[in-house]
Amino acid sequence: MSNIIIQMRGITKIFPGVKALDSVNLNIYKGKIMALLGENGAGKSTLMKILTGVYEKTSGEIQLEGKAVSFSNTRESQGIGIAIIHQELNLIPHLSIGENIFLGREPVNRLRKIDWQKLYKDAGTIMKRLGIAESPETQVSELSIGKQQMVEIAKALSLDAQVIIMDEPTGALTEKETESLFRVIRELKEEGRSIVYISHRLKEIFEICDDVTVLRDGQFIGEYPVGDLDEDKVIELMVGRKLSEQFPRISCRPGKAALEVRNLNSPLVKEISFEVKQGEIVGIAGLMGSGRTELARTLYGIYGKSSGEILIDGKPVDIKSPGQAIWNGLVYVSEDRKANGVVLGLSIKENVSLSVLQRLSGLLGKIDMRKEAAMAEDAIRSMSIRTSGPMQQVKNLSGGNQQKVSLSKSLAAKPKVLILDEPTRGVDVGAKKEIYDIMNQFKKEGMSIIMISSEMPEILGMSDRILVMHEGRIAGIIDYQDADQEKLMRLAIGKKEVAL
Amino acid sequence: MKKALILTMVVILVAGLFAGCAAPAAPAAPAETNQEGAKKVGLVISTLNNPFFVTLKEGAEAKAKELGMDLVVLDSQNDPAKEMANVEDLITKSVAVILINPTDSDAVGNAVKAANSKNIPVITLDRGANAGDVVAHIASDNVAGGKMAGEFIIKQLEGKGKVVELEGIAGTSAARDRGKGFNEAIQGAGIEVVAKQTADFDRTKGLSVMENILQAQPEINAVFAHNDEMALGALQAIKASGRSIMVVGFDATDDAVKAVESGEMAATVAQQPAMIGSLGVENAAKVIKGESIEKSIPVDLKLVTK
Amino acid sequence: MMMTIKGKLIRNKSLFVLILFSLVIAVLNPRFLTVNNILNVLRQTSINSIIAAGMTFVILTGGIDLSVGSILAVTGAVAASMIAGGANLFASVMTALAIGAVIGAFNGIVISKGKIQPFIATLATMTLLRGYAMVFTDGKPVSTGSHEVAGVFSSIGAGYFLGVPIPIYVMAAVFALAYYILRHTRTGRYVYSLGCNEEATVYSGINADRVKIFVYTVSGFLSALAGIIITARLSSAQPQAGSGYELDAIAAVVLGGTSLSGGVGSIFGTIIGALIIGVLNNALNLMDVSSYYQLLLKGLVILVAVLLDRKQKSSK
Ligand SMILES: Nc1ncnc2c1ncn2[C@@H]1O[C@H](COP(=O)(O)OP(=O)(O)OP(=O)(O)O)[C@@H](O)[C@H]1O
Ligand SMILES: [Mg+2]
Repeated sequence: MSNIIIQMRGITKIFPGVKALDSVNLNIYKGKIMALLGENGAGKSTLMKILTGVYEKTSGEIQLEGKAVSFSNTRESQGIGIAIIHQELNLIPHLSIGENIFLGREPVNRLRKIDWQKLYKDAGTIMKRLGIAESPETQVSELSIGKQQMVEIAKALSLDAQVIIMDEPTGALTEKETESLFRVIRELKEEGRSIVYISHRLKEIFEICDDVTVLRDGQFIGEYPVGDLDEDKVIELMVGRKLSEQFPRISCRPGKAALEVRNLNSPLVKEISFEVKQGEIVGIAGLMGSGRTELARTLYGIYGKSSGEILIDGKPVDIKSPGQAIWNGLVYVSEDRKANGVVLGLSIKENVSLSVLQRLSGLLGKIDMRKEAAMAEDAIRSMSIRTSGPMQQVKNLSGGNQQKVSLSKSLAAKPKVLILDEPTRGVDVGAKKEIYDIMNQFKKEGMSIIMISSEMPEILGMSDRILVMHEGRIAGIIDYQDADQEKLMRLAIGKKEVAL
Repeated sequence: MKKALILTMVVILVAGLFAGCAAPAAPAAPAETNQEGAKKVGLVISTLNNPFFVTLKEGAEAKAKELGMDLVVLDSQNDPAKEMANVEDLITKSVAVILINPTDSDAVGNAVKAANSKNIPVITLDRGANAGDVVAHIASDNVAGGKMAGEFIIKQLEGKGKVVELEGIAGTSAARDRGKGFNEAIQGAGIEVVAKQTADFDRTKGLSVMENILQAQPEINAVFAHNDEMALGALQAIKASGRSIMVVGFDATDDAVKAVESGEMAATVAQQPAMIGSLGVENAAKVIKGESIEKSIPVDLKLVTK
Repeated sequence: MMMTIKGKLIRNKSLFVLILFSLVIAVLNPRFLTVNNILNVLRQTSINSIIAAGMTFVILTGGIDLSVGSILAVTGAVAASMIAGGANLFASVMTALAIGAVIGAFNGIVISKGKIQPFIATLATMTLLRGYAMVFTDGKPVSTGSHEVAGVFSSIGAGYFLGVPIPIYVMAAVFALAYYILRHTRTGRYVYSLGCNEEATVYSGINADRVKIFVYTVSGFLSALAGIIITARLSSAQPQAGSGYELDAIAAVVLGGTSLSGGVGSIFGTIIGALIIGVLNNALNLMDVSSYYQLLLKGLVILVAVLLDRKQKSSK
């Protein structure tokens, strides 16, 4: 266990009202991959932001090969070879892939003119290494979130850093993209580079990491070689207790159809017909870009439809905007919380009540502040949102807790039909379980839930029926008893099922 | 579909507007081709947002009608760049003489030179040009006007008292000259200037600046404002304060003349903008006929009192 | 009590600037802190601050309204000519206010439904309406005349109630209402939300277009209100009235700590910002500062105040 490149010791970070880190240690070894694990809000991102100079530490010490160092911005940490891929995307949408990768470090010729040829050639090389086919001149805004995440990774690789920090890099990636990423990570390791890897997907940890550091509630729990652990032990270390079964399926006694979609067509989806009954969870599986999110957003009134009928509780509805959707009892929880799931600049309280202010306000639109505060307190309690209070700005919450706010905001509208788009992305095991429990509870109360997810175990474990999409169409609908991973994959990639 | 409809409507509307505006000018267009075109005179005016220049323009138009001349009026909107473009337009129209009322004496230089290079004679009105050749400059004598106001105040106050001077936009020649004449006049008399502040030739500013000065100065006998707009604003402030202070303005706008007649204002120095305009056209006619004219043509000022 | 004042000061640097600045002036010129002069400053500030209150709504949504000065000129001219023409006081004032609101709503519709950037849309209406004001008045001031109704009308701008100028009451009412709307109503919440993240606001089921139309209507309405006060004050409407007022209003909003990119700020800050500008103008006149130095000083004060505020925010 020699060869420590970076050693963080006794790191404490106090934000106004929150002690995010309390005397935490982290070692980064040369040529090794260190996993950094912990629940949402445990302080993982904060620790990495301190290492890279985004935040100032309150106390503690950082040593680089035995010498104390400190950085006051990312440029300085980059300077000595530390690169970070942040949990939140930080790309500029209207610039090309290449421009984003080399932003602020564009290659120039002698006249200080940007050498575009070199820029795009270098960008192309890195993208190819990551297995991305898009031309480096493509605008970032045209890419899926997964691809955008790959651009972030490419950006970090282009720095040629000795230490690379990856804060939930696979959250939005497809399986294939994840594979390419792991291949690159192994190559980097072989080259003797060190990696800090943060993820809520424990399988990945066992697949590529060498050591594990666990944080809980800002406290340092310990550092372990990965060989000494198994999944249950990791969960126990993270959560502080044993968790019961991951997918607590409850039997479904479906009622009347709550949502019926009949032959829905739009420029984005084709010939969609299905129904969701009261008290039923319908999972939607499919590859990235198969039209799942587009379908959900068409139902929600964001994208227009060209033909077809939508019925809620047996009555045809004409939904042209999210406002009308909510009014009709249909709510959508976005996969992209930063862009349209929550309003980062507002407080938790203001977010939770945003969709339902109509209900909370009286004469002349005066908001009943007491009711609103109660609603927020309630959400914080029932979702276990880790926060200093309802007035905390959502932008200061950890990623997973932001997701919980996004969910609370939608549930506040008391929907009949709830569409969840990747509801557990970036959410820790404990909280995932909480979200599943909440889904089950609403299912019992008769809510109809549609869950779009790229995580097969989640789809298989929670859904009563599974709808698979391929190229904007429904490729098949299967009962959960008949479903397995292979069948779903087959449908997702467009292979006709030969025999059952 | 809806977009296209809206777009079409907008296009039709705009086209209609232009057609409407252009209509009166249309008969003049063929004139460019016949020899009558040689009699065309261009007038580039600094701004039509100010009643003074509107009156100047009207004087010029009346004279042109009387002499049967064709007058093209262009508005520079107080923008020297627009002014340059206007002069260029007139050059391409090959007018016989250009009358310019400059937005700024320095900035107009290049426009004058442009006309010079095409041998089109230039006459400046009201404000002069600091570069290029002009055949004549027609203006009222602002220094003399300021002096007139100063002397009037000395007489009314019997040679003793405290006055406030409200200045025009800092750096303009009107503000400089009127102030210079005024200060020359009161020098040596027992008159003390207790405050000297700019109110940008603007009535609202005249009001608020005077309000502030009234707070600062317990004793004021008279106010001299570089134009009537400021004088009328100051008048409102004085009325509201209940104090009795004599106000003298400059320009003799309609509102100011009314105020003088009703006794609220003591006096205003009348420039004769209509006469500047009409003298401009008259001299342009002389130039076209080949007669020689004076290089500097002063226009009389007069003091308007009750 | 002490703590809360101190807290306010620390949170709101512009209030601190205003107080410090007033103290310095009070020491330099004893006439500054007289009741008369304070009322005078407040009355002068009322025009800019009423416009700035509307501008705060617009800027909070991430927009901008350049047409305020032109709306002021047009509505002032309409009110003046109606009064001069013998119309009844109530009808004249209401017509002017309604015109202001309609123009504002038009701005909002062009911006939201037409998807035109606020800067461009209101730049166009600013120019268009200034032209209309010139056409309407024929480039000359419109006097309200000297009959009885004109006298009553002028008291809106020049009159007193209990020794306090009427425009100050109007200003206070506008700010109280604006505060109430922004802090306590649904609409106010939507304004902030829209300024923070338009997409997420739409996804939350809020009709963003309606909110935009609302804020520009407020801005147009308040510009008309300011136009009425100024016209009443002078008993005459100027075709050039209000030119450049958009910049004073924006300066007041920004000095008050509201972010030009929207979502962050308060109406309380705006009144402080307007007062800083008002006090500055008053002080320069009181101390008889030469006109050449006035612009220089104004620019400097704005720069320093904004920089202080910036520092404060980033260190948080
Ligand atoms: N800028 C900030 N201001 C105040 N509190 C903050 C700020 N940033 C983070 N926190 C708080 O610090 C704690 C740790 O947050 P952090 O983002 O490090 O969690 P995390 O372990 O990365 O969680 P996740 O898995 O959800 O991403 C949280 O309670 C969060 O609310
Ligand atoms: Mg994190």
